[in-house]
Amino acid sequence: MPRAQAAPKLEGVRLHLPQPYEEISHTADVGIAAVGATPEEALARLVLALGALLAGGGAVEPAGERGISVSGAADLPQTAVALLREVLFGFATRREVPCSCEVRSLAPGRAEAAIGFGRYDPALHAEGVDVKAVTYHGARFEPGERGYRAQVILDI
Amino acid sequence: MDRRAQRLRKIRDWLWEIPPEGAMKVPGRVYADGPPAPDDPALEQVANVACLPGIVKWSLAMPDFHWGYGFPIGGVAAVDVEHGAISPGGVGYDINCGVRVVTTRVEAARVRTRRHEVTAELYRTIPTGVGSSHAIPRLSRDEMDAVLAKGARWAVGRGYFASGGDLAHCEEGGSLPGADPGTVSERARERGSDQLGTLGSGNHFLEVDEVAEIYDPAVAEAFGLHEGQLAMQIHSGSRGLGYQVCDEALAELTPAMGRYGVDYAALPDPQLACAPIGSPAGQRYLGAMQAAANFAWANRQVMTGLAVRALCRSLEISEGELSAALLYDVCHNVAKVEEHLVDGERRRLLVHRKGATRAFGPGDPRVPPAYRDVGQPVLIPGDMGRYSYVLAGTAAAMEETFGSSCHGAGRLLSRHQAMRLARGRSIHRELLDRGIEVISRGKKTLAEEMSEAYKDVARVVGVVAAAGISRLVARLEPIGVIKG
Repeated sequence: MPRAQAAPKLEGVRLHLPQPYEEISHTADVGIAAVGATPEEALARLVLALGALLAGGGAVEPAGERGISVSGAADLPQTAVALLREVLFGFATRREVPCSCEVRSLAPGRAEAAIGFGRYDPALHAEGVDVKAVTYHGARFEPGERGYRAQVILDI
Repeated sequence: MDRRAQRLRKIRDWLWEIPPEGAMKVPGRVYADGPPAPDDPALEQVANVACLPGIVKWSLAMPDFHWGYGFPIGGVAAVDVEHGAISPGGVGYDINCGVRVVTTRVEAARVRTRRHEVTAELYRTIPTGVGSSHAIPRLSRDEMDAVLAKGARWAVGRGYFASGGDLAHCEEGGSLPGADPGTVSERARERGSDQLGTLGSGNHFLEVDEVAEIYDPAVAEAFGLHEGQLAMQIHSGSRGLGYQVCDEALAELTPAMGRYGVDYAALPDPQLACAPIGSPAGQRYLGAMQAAANFAWANRQVMTGLAVRALCRSLEISEGELSAALLYDVCHNVAKVEEHLVDGERRRLLVHRKGATRAFGPGDPRVPPAYRDVGQPVLIPGDMGRYSYVLAGTAAAMEETFGSSCHGAGRLLSRHQAMRLARGRSIHRELLDRGIEVISRGKKTLAEEMSEAYKDVARVVGVVAAAGISRLVARLEPIGVIKG
């Protein structure tokens, strides 16, 4: 059995920017991947990896919090895509950049998270990436040697 | 490495084939100037697209093809309208991303000496960059409905145009009649309501060019092009509205593929999610996608009107003196119902072009009367430091590619690789030294979009010309560029 399945739940643990993540090279777009001791931690880091790309390395001052829940996806990778889609919609319409994240529940087809956000600042975040969408292509969520690894490809 | 891609065989010069195997319903065909690398993941995507229900003849890849998500960028797939599938991934997130060329009666030499003022005025006028907005006042609900239904016609009616002939010189007249604004969600409307007339970021650009060389004088004359002339290119799409339409369609279809049968359930990539064209989900997406395509045409049309006025202001000339005219406007990302001759039979097909350009040949009634004798203009932008091309559609394209050609240079380096290559260099300075003024929101864009990040578009258009699916007409060279 993978070690990650035996790891303790991180209920009540909120992760803040910056968090470790990996950028995956893709010819036209950008992939992000994050590792966590639990699936919840991996997904929280993936949300914050999106925040780091949107902020382009600029500081994000906390300005509020939003609860997001998603349902209806077929499996864990698609659930991760669904949660990041909601985060991206908040950026596209309300200019909210995620700066902290607590994934409160996660199961194939369902996720609930509390996401702290700051406001996009064109000057501070000038090097941010204009992400069009979170794609299903190459989406993965799997146990590994260092816990769980979640990955998505972003269309930019 | 994909086993199917390893079985590539040469059909003739410039054309390679992946024979059908497994779930592939048709062969894959790739236009290239040499054997494609068998480990190129885009080849696997060409083979995957060949599994689409109802696909006809071939899954095609143009010479600028590269790795996308689901479909390769540079892919063309035609499906039977009665029995085929419509795939949001076969259109892409930026629905009707496209390019247009505006000609003028001004000589480019007049702009070279004022290139900074001209470029800066364009940059001030056209919002660029992440979430750019408010080129014009936010659209009301009724205005948005009108934009989604009418496309470029809405913008022309509001006074945004180069000349009176703009609509006739857009693919499909700048409006798809099947658009159904009622199928565009509140969320998509919210993302797009303040973005009409904005450029966006990434590879989108507005460029002032010189017509540097004419290759085919007769066709160039029909297109109104001559050497030394000032022209302008605009490359943009449907902005956040289109992204959201695609995103919602994929979210609906991806978990539900099994309901349409084994052919759908067996598709090898979730990003190829699709539905039968005639199904309720297929029809909803088709109506919304066409409405988003109309939004994109209105977007480029508003920018055209704004840019023409900015050019006049910066050059201190009248609109009459500039005499701007739209040469043509083409879509790069779209699915359209078109009639094509397939094995001697006239068939109605839904042609997905994902990073490909329509290239209808001479005599086709769907080509505007002014160009019908020579074929439609095929506009192929390159990178910001080199050149772009104007080509014309051909009869061979109608026979081999459902009237399609390449759409641009195609990326060579990932954005990361480009950033690494740009480290320690000033791309802005290098371009200035080559006589090109570039203004962008951030220096990262300049690095990601540097010339070396792209294939040489001359090589790409060389392939389509040699293969006979387009005909070289003219080369444009940049003077001033604005980017997000």
